[in-house]
Amino acid sequence: MQFLNLTLGQLLALLATGSGLLIALYLLDRSRRRRLVATLRFWVAASRAPESRRRRRLQEWPSLLLQLLTLLLLLAALAQPRFVPQGAQPRDHVLVLDTSAWMGARVGGETLIEQARKLARTWLRSLPAGDRVMLVRADAVPTPATPFTADRDLLDRAIQAAQPSATALRLARALAFAERAQRGRPAGETVFVGAGRISPEEAIGLQWPAGLRVLRVQDRVENCGLRRIALSREPQDPASWRIFVAAKNYGERPHRRRLVLTFGGALVAQAEPLLEPASEQELSFTLRTRSAGWLEVRLLGADALPADDEALVELPALRQIRVLAYSRRPELLRPLFAAGTWASVEYRSPEAYDPTAPADLVVLDRFCPPAPPQTHTVWLDPPPERAPAAIRETVRQARLARWRSDHPLAAGLRARDLALPTAHVFAPGPGDAVVAEVDAGAVILARTEPFKTVVFGFHPLQTAMRYEVAAPLLFANLLRWMAPDVFGGREVRVGSAGALSLELAEGENREVKVLAADGRPLPFTIEQNRLELFAPQAEQVRVLTAAGERVFSLSLPEIADGRWEPPVQATRRVPARSSRRAPVTEFWPWLALAAGLCLWTEACLFARLRPASPADRSAAALRRRRTRDANP
Amino acid sequence: MSEQTWIDQRFLERLERLALRWRKSFPGLIGGRNPSRFPGPGMEFLDHRHFHHGDDLRAVNWRAYLRFEKLFLKIFRIEPHAPVRLLLDASASMALGSPPKFDYARKLAGALAYVGLVRLDTLMLIPFRAGLESGLRCAGGRHRFAPIVEFLSELRAEGRTDYFQTVRQFVSRFSDRGLIIIISDFFDDGDCSRALQYLADFGHELMLVHVWAEEDRSPPWDGRLELVDAETGSRLELDFDADARQQYTAAFDAWSESLRRLALANGGRYVAVPTSLDVEEAVFDSLAAAGAVQACSS
Repeated sequence: MQFLNLTLGQLLALLATGSGLLIALYLLDRSRRRRLVATLRFWVAASRAPESRRRRRLQEWPSLLLQLLTLLLLLAALAQPRFVPQGAQPRDHVLVLDTSAWMGARVGGETLIEQARKLARTWLRSLPAGDRVMLVRADAVPTPATPFTADRDLLDRAIQAAQPSATALRLARALAFAERAQRGRPAGETVFVGAGRISPEEAIGLQWPAGLRVLRVQDRVENCGLRRIALSREPQDPASWRIFVAAKNYGERPHRRRLVLTFGGALVAQAEPLLEPASEQELSFTLRTRSAGWLEVRLLGADALPADDEALVELPALRQIRVLAYSRRPELLRPLFAAGTWASVEYRSPEAYDPTAPADLVVLDRFCPPAPPQTHTVWLDPPPERAPAAIRETVRQARLARWRSDHPLAAGLRARDLALPTAHVFAPGPGDAVVAEVDAGAVILARTEPFKTVVFGFHPLQTAMRYEVAAPLLFANLLRWMAPDVFGGREVRVGSAGALSLELAEGENREVKVLAADGRPLPFTIEQNRLELFAPQAEQVRVLTAAGERVFSLSLPEIADGRWEPPVQATRRVPARSSRRAPVTEFWPWLALAAGLCLWTEACLFARLRPASPADRSAAALRRRRTRDANP
Repeated sequence: MSEQTWIDQRFLERLERLALRWRKSFPGLIGGRNPSRFPGPGMEFLDHRHFHHGDDLRAVNWRAYLRFEKLFLKIFRIEPHAPVRLLLDASASMALGSPPKFDYARKLAGALAYVGLVRLDTLMLIPFRAGLESGLRCAGGRHRFAPIVEFLSELRAEGRTDYFQTVRQFVSRFSDRGLIIIISDFFDDGDCSRALQYLADFGHELMLVHVWAEEDRSPPWDGRLELVDAETGSRLELDFDADARQQYTAAFDAWSESLRRLALANGGRYVAVPTSLDVEEAVFDSLAAAGAVQACSS
């Protein structure tokens, strides 16, 4: 005997509560209620003899018993008791349906997921009617699509709604989830339906639960696809992109496929590699462009899975920082800025100063303009009378004592004991950051308001620093600090959806944002300078850090390399339709009928609105006659 | 209770068309509207009699003298100014009901007093409980209505009712006969019908306005009840159900019928007014149908 809706404890608790309430109402109904009346004259005539009153109260005890019996029967009907023969108890199964990206492959006119749906439904039909099933969609993350339910229509709809995702199957997680879900329940089967393509590393230590059934789809398919694409600017020629493309043959025969790259709709490169079975091949190309645009990489030819045959990458434009240098000796600055290609420099004499000239950075070489520039500025050894920072003293034959390495301008600078023939020592104001110091005080200051400004108390190119590696490093740091966005966008990667791991540079893990292509923030974690995020579907991800922006085009489906071989203990076929379960006998309709009968009997015997019997009518007439006689 | 809260201006304007009616012939001064059987200076011809020395020559029927050569005198019906006494039950039983019977009775008494004031009747408003309380004489027209409102507002429903004692005091205090309007639930420990009969026997005309609440006639309660009499504090414990309610209602109806018979047998009138009925409706429908008030042309 089983109770389907309530446990025995719940049934007894409800019965106790209901009975208590019923008895309280009964006693309250029978308790005396005090009423103030205008006169007792007519009440005396209407009152009953004590004998009949006692008899009436005694007669209503069966009414209470009938009501309690009705309550008991109704609660028992609600609990839905049923008789289940020995050995026919329903069990709880977990159906793990493979919804990895590989399941979108097409074999002989139908996709692998369609094959899996058919197998799942066939297995579902073979189950006894009382068995409950939980459907779990398994890709990178196992997702329960239904609770444990015996509703076959609901399960059928959930199976039909399952679609391939963009990630690979993590079978270990799915099986562990199924085992946890079945814990504490009548143990049924864990049924895996799908291709079972997992990574070889995962297949090594895979644990499987007891009662495992594996229904494999036929996935012997011939497919070649793109694995990853990486693009980076050439260090010597920033206008050129070096492009690496990796393609893999997942099939069992070699294939020669044509790989084409188009930029802005125009063909820019192509190749026709021979892809050996179960092997990966890397190809490299060069694309020279300064402008932004879309690069499309396509693997031509039809195969089983078209989703991994093409990828689209957005390339950023090449940016340069515009530098305007006012100097009487430009030959000193020219080698410094000519070392890199990130800046376009225009040299002017101080007499040609124009505060409104367009520039990203203005360099003022021993020159103080009448009006300060309205952009980022570098002051090299400004005249003391109009220097942008207060000069405390001027020292001679000083030595550079220390660099403040916590400031980005001094990052990586270690040079010491640089002799400075003459240097101004500044008194830092509020908002000023000290970059370098001599023993007497700060000789390089940096400030950020209203524009980024760096003030040198000496001329770095007219000292011994000119011959040290510290000079180009300092100016490289300076340019990177002044215009960080120019130095970003040097790397673009195209990969597969799913988990993404990114190593961040020292100090880069502050103010990190991860955005989707539509600006939607994506959740991520940073642990020990390693950024981890999960993209469940193919999309473009932008990682913004203090060092710049990195673009990841996660537009390729994630396909695992290995194929899982189920253990020999696992059952591998769909069972025959079960007829071993004897029919379950339901009692609730009979209980509900009995409750109705009790209620009807109570209403007929004791309800106040019951139809009067002839005996009742004659008794009432007799009482009225007596009343008239008593009050003529 | 202010005047505004229980009688509005529109109701007062409607009341001005009414007049109190009585059937009996009362001796009294001229100036009333209800004709009596007593001869006197009136407008309506009653009879002829022989002329006696000292009679008013203006009443001689000269046409009859020319024909019979005898002097006959024309006699007219007098329309006396009869006193109206309005007895208002202010006992504790009147405080029950929803709305309270006493509030309803006060509104009714105020309305009838206003009708009397407008028609220049001599009216006295007397509350009673175990005996007669001090009353208020009302006369002089509608502008004297404010004292009535104030008097009724200050009344409280409390104490026991003793009809016999009340009637004794009334008879001893008021010797001249007239119309007595009793507004009450007529619940008394004793038998109020004997006292009312005594009042009628003394020559007064009775107008019994029986005010009752729904719970007085058909109590809505069921089950085991402990009943407390509002006036005496007596207790009664009983089981009450639909049958008992039917029996109770039958007893109440029989008692009401006995009151009605008593009033009619003594030339008076009986009007039963449930508190669920609107006061305006009670005056213009129930009281008018019983002949207690009637519409006047002037």
